[in-house]
Amino acid sequence: MTADQLPLNETGKILEILSSPLKINLMELGFLPGKYLTLQHKAPSGGPLAFQLEESLLALRQNEAALIRIEPIA
Amino acid sequence: MAESTATPVGSIPRIAIIGNPNVGKSTIFNYLTGLNQKIGNYPGVTVDKKIGFFQVKGEHFEILDLPGTYSLFPNSEDEIIAHRVLNNAELEQRPDYVLMVIDSTQLSRGLFLATQLIDLGINLAILLNMADVAADKKIEIRTFTLFKQLGVPILQTDARNQKGLEPLKELIQQRNFSKAAHFVDILEVIPAELLQRVRERFDLENNYQAYQMIRFGARDKAMPEASRLWLTQLLEESGFNLEEAQLEETKIRYKKITDLVTKALFKKTAPKPKSSLDKVVLHPFFGYLVFIGVLLLIFQTLFSLASYPMDWIDGFFADVSRLVLTTFPDGPLTRLLAEGVVPGIGGVVIFIPQIALLFGFLAILEDTGYMSRVVFLLDRWMRPFGLHGKSIVPLVSGVACAIPGVMAARNISNWKEKMITILVTPLMSCSARLPVYIILIGLSVPEEQVVGFINLQALALLSLYLLGVLGVLGTAFLLKVILKTEEKSFLLTELPSYRIPRWKDVGFTMVEKSKTFVFEAGKVILAISVVLWVLASYGPPTAMEEIRQQGVVQQQQASSPEQVAIIAAETNSLLLENSFIGIMGRAIEPAIQPLGYDWKIGIALITSFAAREVFISTMVTIYSIGGDVKDDLTIREKLASQVNASTGEKTFTPATSYSLLVFYVFAMQCMSTLAVVKRETKGWTWPIVQTLYMSALAYLMAFLTYQLFS
Repeated sequence: MTADQLPLNETGKILEILSSPLKINLMELGFLPGKYLTLQHKAPSGGPLAFQLEESLLALRQNEAALIRIEPIA
Repeated sequence: MAESTATPVGSIPRIAIIGNPNVGKSTIFNYLTGLNQKIGNYPGVTVDKKIGFFQVKGEHFEILDLPGTYSLFPNSEDEIIAHRVLNNAELEQRPDYVLMVIDSTQLSRGLFLATQLIDLGINLAILLNMADVAADKKIEIRTFTLFKQLGVPILQTDARNQKGLEPLKELIQQRNFSKAAHFVDILEVIPAELLQRVRERFDLENNYQAYQMIRFGARDKAMPEASRLWLTQLLEESGFNLEEAQLEETKIRYKKITDLVTKALFKKTAPKPKSSLDKVVLHPFFGYLVFIGVLLLIFQTLFSLASYPMDWIDGFFADVSRLVLTTFPDGPLTRLLAEGVVPGIGGVVIFIPQIALLFGFLAILEDTGYMSRVVFLLDRWMRPFGLHGKSIVPLVSGVACAIPGVMAARNISNWKEKMITILVTPLMSCSARLPVYIILIGLSVPEEQVVGFINLQALALLSLYLLGVLGVLGTAFLLKVILKTEEKSFLLTELPSYRIPRWKDVGFTMVEKSKTFVFEAGKVILAISVVLWVLASYGPPTAMEEIRQQGVVQQQQASSPEQVAIIAAETNSLLLENSFIGIMGRAIEPAIQPLGYDWKIGIALITSFAAREVFISTMVTIYSIGGDVKDDLTIREKLASQVNASTGEKTFTPATSYSLLVFYVFAMQCMSTLAVVKRETKGWTWPIVQTLYMSALAYLMAFLTYQLFS
């Protein structure tokens, strides 16, 4: 699954960042395979998502979160 | 003569400060340079070049504050600057030393940029800032391990609380920067032969510089055309996949950094829980309530605070004008000074309180971390109109004044979204429209209550503000369809931890933005004010002289001081009617007749091109109202009794008043805004486009309004 499909307050482990012009930007911010992210906030009506990634809270649009392939952690 | 290795006289060592966004770079820059700063321009981009001077033990250093960036892969204008300065790209002098600021709680992210700088062969020192936050989070960094692995000096600081800054001064004074061996060997991802050719062509020191040049040189519009072409051709010939190489480099770099951080960083805490403040601030419903509350609070404070200094400034410049008139002998030069130049400067200075305060509030919101949360909440609602979440800042500022709004648009990295934001911001009803609204509403809307308690006049005022918002959304939507760009819009932003604002930095921002406005836009505003004054004061000489003579004769025949004042006011009115602007007003009458205006209103339309509030003072002169301009009631009564010379009907019928109100909602009547748009877009094209579309919109809407109500 991809990060945009993660339910609120759930955690996932990043498997890979899918190819796109934004791949580098995502990696720069610290979205790297092996790291864990938690979906903490959702802006209403299909708005951006805020993920806790280690020490930082990062906001992405849904189509950008869809570039992060993850594995949900129970 | 003895040989000297010291820096030659006149060129002092340059130190650039670089770092990710929100790491306290500016605090360190402000600490080192104090108010000894100046703002310049980089060619071809709107990013300000911030330079300051620093002195320690009699030695001088020039400090350059580079815009925040995550890597040397430029995505926005800000990042292109960092890339250009550090890669010695012909246009910019490369700094002698670089100070890299890293957020101690974001070590790996900071090291990404730091190790790229090491690979560029830069004389580097690293500051691990925000040591206090790291300590709170129980993060311990073994700086010695880092130092051994990286090979550059490392200091720990807490700039916010001014800790660890003395050692920083010492480090600079001793020039304790060093060039380390490369961290990632770029030969792992790119063929040696390609690098060699670029190194020779541009005379570069090492492979990583060559790699950066290949990667970005061709895209940097400030590079000479020939160099860009050469790079593009080289790439095509070699058939080398740069995107792949960059990804590969990123992977290798992060792998090595992760290994390093595992050794150097020690952490005692469990994963961070959700901040309780964010539970409210980012709540899908309450978050918006908080936002509206914050806005109300800001505008309440802004309008109540700014009005005092604005009144002082207004009074001060009026006094200066009077002083000039009474001190110097009467003549064209004195009058130009007293009625053209002094009010022109006053017209620039009057905006400072609003600009400074608004930027103060924006800096506080930014610094506390609230602003990026607003972007998070609003992005979804701005996008359908071709705007970005970040467009909310300019639009909201626009309610006070479009000038700081347009200046705030530069934070938007996507060209199209930035242009749309700049183009529509002046449609928000700013505070300068308020006096015009109030006079005209008082004239045309009865003071009655509807549905028991709603004041009809207040309702009319609210409708005008909403009309402005509708104009913003409609125009933005149209521009979204018209403007083309290949740049992808994205929102990748950190929501930083909440913090107490750094008051000193807030103060710096207020001073800096006001200075930029006064010196950059002030020149244009002053020039246009003088031109408008000349047009309003001069006309065909014989006609003007005749009116003046007649006035003198009539005044001599007058029997009471009141009569003298009336005659003087009437003479002024006649002079304005016959001036060049008066002639222009008559000339445009056929064009504005369908809107319900006569040529007298036409004159006011032309003069209020300088600024909307000028409408009122022009009305006062043209209808020879005289007396206290501040007295709304006098103006209103006088306007209400005006009769159209050609039709014999009342000039200000409800239809004409409504039409004028609508015209003022949409028209671009503020040369200060135009001057700022020119500055932010680096040319006259966009301000002209903006004036044309807003005038057309104002004309069309006023026409429809008049036809509907008459």
